[in-house]
Amino acid sequence: MTYRVQHRTSYVYESLVSASYGVVYLLPRDTPAQRVVECHVGVVPEPDSYSEHVDFFGNRVANFTVLEGHTELIVTTTSVVDVIARQLPAFGTGPTWESVAEMVRSSDDPDVIDASQFLLDSPSAPVSDAVRAFASESFEAGRHLVDVLGDLTGRIYRRFQYKSGVTSLRTTPDELLTLGKGVCQDFAHLQIACLRAFGVPARYVSGYLETLPPPGRPKLIGADVSHAWVSAYLPTMGWVDLDPTNNVFVGERHICTAWGRDYADVSPLRGVIFTEAKSNTMTVSVDVTSLD
Amino acid sequence: MLTDYRPDSGSYDELLDADGAMRPSWSHVGTALDELGHDELVRRQSDVNRLLDADGVSYNAFGSTDPRGRRWSLDPVPMVLSSPEWAEIEAGVIDRAELLDLILSDIYGPRELVRRGLLPVNFLYRHPGFLRECDQIGVGRAASNLVTYAVDIARDSSGRYVAMSDRAQAPSGAGYALENRVVISRVLPSLYRDAQVHRLAPFFRVLRSALRDCAPESSPNRHDPRVVVLTPGPWSETAFEHAYLASYLGYSLVEGGDLIARNGRVWMRSLGRLEPVDVILRRVDDWFCDPLELRPDSQLGVPGLLDAARRGTVTMVNPLGSGIVESPALMAFLPAIAAHFIGREPRLPSVETWWCGDEKACQHVLANLATLVVKPIARDVGQSSILGWEQSSTALADLRARITMHPSEWCAQAQVTMSTTPTLTTAGFDARLSVLRAFAVARASSYVVMPGGLLRVAPDSSGALISNQSGALTKDAWVLASEPEKPTSYWLQSGPTVEAADPIGSMPSRAAENLFWLGRYAERAEDAVRLLRVIYDRRTEFASGTNPAGATCLEILLRTLTDVSTTYPGFVDEGARIAPGAELFSVIVDDDRPGTLAHAIHRLLDAAYAVRDQLSNDTWLVIGNLDREILALRDENGMSASERPITLQRALGSAMQSLLALGGLASESMVRDPGWHFMDAGRRLERALQLVALLRSTLRSVNGTATDSLLLESVLTTAESIITYRRRYRSQAQVETVLDLLLLDAGNPRSVVFQLDRLAADVALLPLQDAELASRAPVDRLSAVAKLVLETTTMLHLAETSLLATPDENGQRVGLDEFLGRLETLLRRCAAAVELSHFSHRLPQRAMSLDGRVQPELP
Repeated sequence: MTYRVQHRTSYVYESLVSASYGVVYLLPRDTPAQRVVECHVGVVPEPDSYSEHVDFFGNRVANFTVLEGHTELIVTTTSVVDVIARQLPAFGTGPTWESVAEMVRSSDDPDVIDASQFLLDSPSAPVSDAVRAFASESFEAGRHLVDVLGDLTGRIYRRFQYKSGVTSLRTTPDELLTLGKGVCQDFAHLQIACLRAFGVPARYVSGYLETLPPPGRPKLIGADVSHAWVSAYLPTMGWVDLDPTNNVFVGERHICTAWGRDYADVSPLRGVIFTEAKSNTMTVSVDVTSLD
Repeated sequence: MLTDYRPDSGSYDELLDADGAMRPSWSHVGTALDELGHDELVRRQSDVNRLLDADGVSYNAFGSTDPRGRRWSLDPVPMVLSSPEWAEIEAGVIDRAELLDLILSDIYGPRELVRRGLLPVNFLYRHPGFLRECDQIGVGRAASNLVTYAVDIARDSSGRYVAMSDRAQAPSGAGYALENRVVISRVLPSLYRDAQVHRLAPFFRVLRSALRDCAPESSPNRHDPRVVVLTPGPWSETAFEHAYLASYLGYSLVEGGDLIARNGRVWMRSLGRLEPVDVILRRVDDWFCDPLELRPDSQLGVPGLLDAARRGTVTMVNPLGSGIVESPALMAFLPAIAAHFIGREPRLPSVETWWCGDEKACQHVLANLATLVVKPIARDVGQSSILGWEQSSTALADLRARITMHPSEWCAQAQVTMSTTPTLTTAGFDARLSVLRAFAVARASSYVVMPGGLLRVAPDSSGALISNQSGALTKDAWVLASEPEKPTSYWLQSGPTVEAADPIGSMPSRAAENLFWLGRYAERAEDAVRLLRVIYDRRTEFASGTNPAGATCLEILLRTLTDVSTTYPGFVDEGARIAPGAELFSVIVDDDRPGTLAHAIHRLLDAAYAVRDQLSNDTWLVIGNLDREILALRDENGMSASERPITLQRALGSAMQSLLALGGLASESMVRDPGWHFMDAGRRLERALQLVALLRSTLRSVNGTATDSLLLESVLTTAESIITYRRRYRSQAQVETVLDLLLLDAGNPRSVVFQLDRLAADVALLPLQDAELASRAPVDRLSAVAKLVLETTTMLHLAETSLLATPDENGQRVGLDEFLGRLETLLRRCAAAVELSHFSHRLPQRAMSLDGRVQPELP
């Protein structure tokens, strides 16, 4: 499948901003499951400088500086990505979760050592007793890791109501467990913490999902949004992506932009501005169009 | 004298061997100290203190808001290191610096050490000092990433040198070591000369060329790159050193707000323009350096700095992220890493260290907790080492629980019995534990070590931990030369003539602003003292209350004090006039009340400390004591002191002496560069403003001949023009002639017109803004400030003093009041125009709000 993604973020400030410095994590990266055909970041007003680099996790990052006074800032990314059909793991196969955890703990294989960094607690997805208790139902002794992953994904999907506005960027997995509702970031953080608690390396993936309009209705422009899911490490297969918000293994309709330990490593757009303005309105619109 | 010196037998003593005989390396110095005798050394100690005070050497304890901090403590007895001892230390420091450089380059490069399991994932990736954002950023074309390095070295009881802690973030202390040397060589001149001590100056020359050589390849001025010292500000612990190094090395001292990232590189906001910056010697911890990519709440950094470093357009020394290699836990991995890189142990071994993330090591630590020094793997402000043997059993149990909870975040080190060295006390000599901080700088793919260093000794004879935070005493460390050294000086340099630095380009506009305010506050304080002295004199004179004219005059003067200092309601409130002592006292000592003398002095000192690299050394001699007597007043019982005119007059007199000396320094010891003109402009504006307020408040009404003549005399005294007036007019004072002398006499350095003439001269020499330069017409246009100054001067010249002095039928001088009011407004506009045209004020820094949180569900 080939997709065209357009992501537009605009900030409107109540008073003049003399300078904006931004870091953009919205450029898709090449992965075994996708190939980036083209991508481009546009900034209005015209930036004084713009550069791209590859970060610690291999993500493509753009930095820009706007030094012209402005009251509105618009950052638009446009990209075309080929998503390749990937082999989904079969239930009832592969190593048990215990053997994976043991291997990750003790292996001296450089690739496994590298993956083991995603076992460590990260600020937005801390492991707690409540997380461990929630996860333990899925981590039955002797179960295949693939089955654990499927079960855990399904349980999060069924247990929590999807509702925006209830949680914030600082919501922890513990708080989600209490609240019972949240959004994709919260579900991803919880699942990451569950996996790490039982010795399975897990990382946070941000990206997009193609949404389809209800039958018979035209697709609305700008109706898509950015998305987040989870990637778990299976030494035999590599990284396997799961989407707890939709209870699926990630397939051809997910487009990945970046990954890290949690949201904080890959927040789509962050920056520093110089202004007296204490508030602003932010508008985000995303379009994912299939070019096939 | 040293015969009474009795070191503890458990430690290695630097002076005496196990049999109590003086070690050969000390024979010369030891004998000479003995000949000087204890009493003389105690006298030399006070010389040391006096010199340190005069140089304003301080160290700010954490959390202190006073930029003066505490005085640096320096023992007059130096530490002596023989040539062979030094050779061993030097080789060890070089070896260790090279090793840590390899580790640093690997951590932010290929990370072979992680892939091979030599650096545990659980240590590196958990450590907050490992900055993922700094991955793959090196130091331009320099051979080493770790450009500067310091290490604390102790000597254990067997006499072996041991590295206690490494410093790689932004090693501090080299400047203090230099200042210690300067002071000791002045206090013990003949001993220093005869002992043939290795000089420190060459080390700083090497530092300077090392910084020059790590300028980016792409820099257009890489043969004479612009280097700046980045400081967190005058309240940082080692602010003295930042300014000291900057001025010794000839670099600009900047704060984060003085720098700006633009066009992919870093610039300094200097006067009226941006100057490119090539190398930043940073004294700001790395995670504070860039709010865009590192700590978003940091106000000490420069957004975009990391990106410029990544592009290679600016070199950070040390590179951002280098703090990771000073983690104490790293010492646990060092032997294996050294074996991997160089096939042997480090020459200078580390103190034995266990990282609790390793199961076996953790068991050892938990079993021996009471004998170990326990440290978190990441140094945090306010969190220090825990000495196992000093903990109660509850504290140990608590510590054990914390370690068990997050073992990878802890490490422990063996206790080292450090060597002792003779230290002067009032009673004699104490054997104090000591540790040497040695400094190295990268040069030609190896390192050069400062011959000597900063020796710190325990604050008392029991202390086992030595840190400046907890109040250590320091010593100069003398490395004895095996043969006479060729005298070289930092200043005498062969090679091509260096182009002089442009004074405009090398001064951050923040420094200019501080100098401007330094001038204003110095004048404000001086004028406040003059008026207060006149008021106290009148109070003494008319204390009996039997002279009605005197009483009225005093009442008007008190109201004037409130008007001039704007400390309302003050004496405008009638209650205060009945018993003026308390309010007067408050106007002198309450430094948190704007308008008071203490407030002006406080602000003056703040401004001076913020630009200490720009001021002459003698400045500290002058202003070091400026607020001492005023503060002492406040510490006494307030009310009783307020009624003791002699104490008050003495304090005011001492403040006046310092303020006058400061003015003298400004006119005799400061180069007339733009900084000076800003300071002078500040002084002129303030003097004019104060004088106008004084005249307006005292002369607006007629009060009867007796009162008015006392009042005019007081005004002339306050305006420091009484003698001139008497000589010139030889008669009873008249308002008209007083106005002539104080407003219009261009030859009176206390008149308003004199201030405006000087201001015009200053303003003409201030650098123009970029924009103004660009729009410059073929005709010479006046700057906005110059126009205002001209307008004010013209208004003044057009004044008709005889008319202004004439009161109306109600005894009011409405015209004078109005005229002075207009004059004041214009002067304030001049001051505002200077600020607006010359000082760049950034808008507040804020974080951009984060992207939205909406997300799709599959249909």
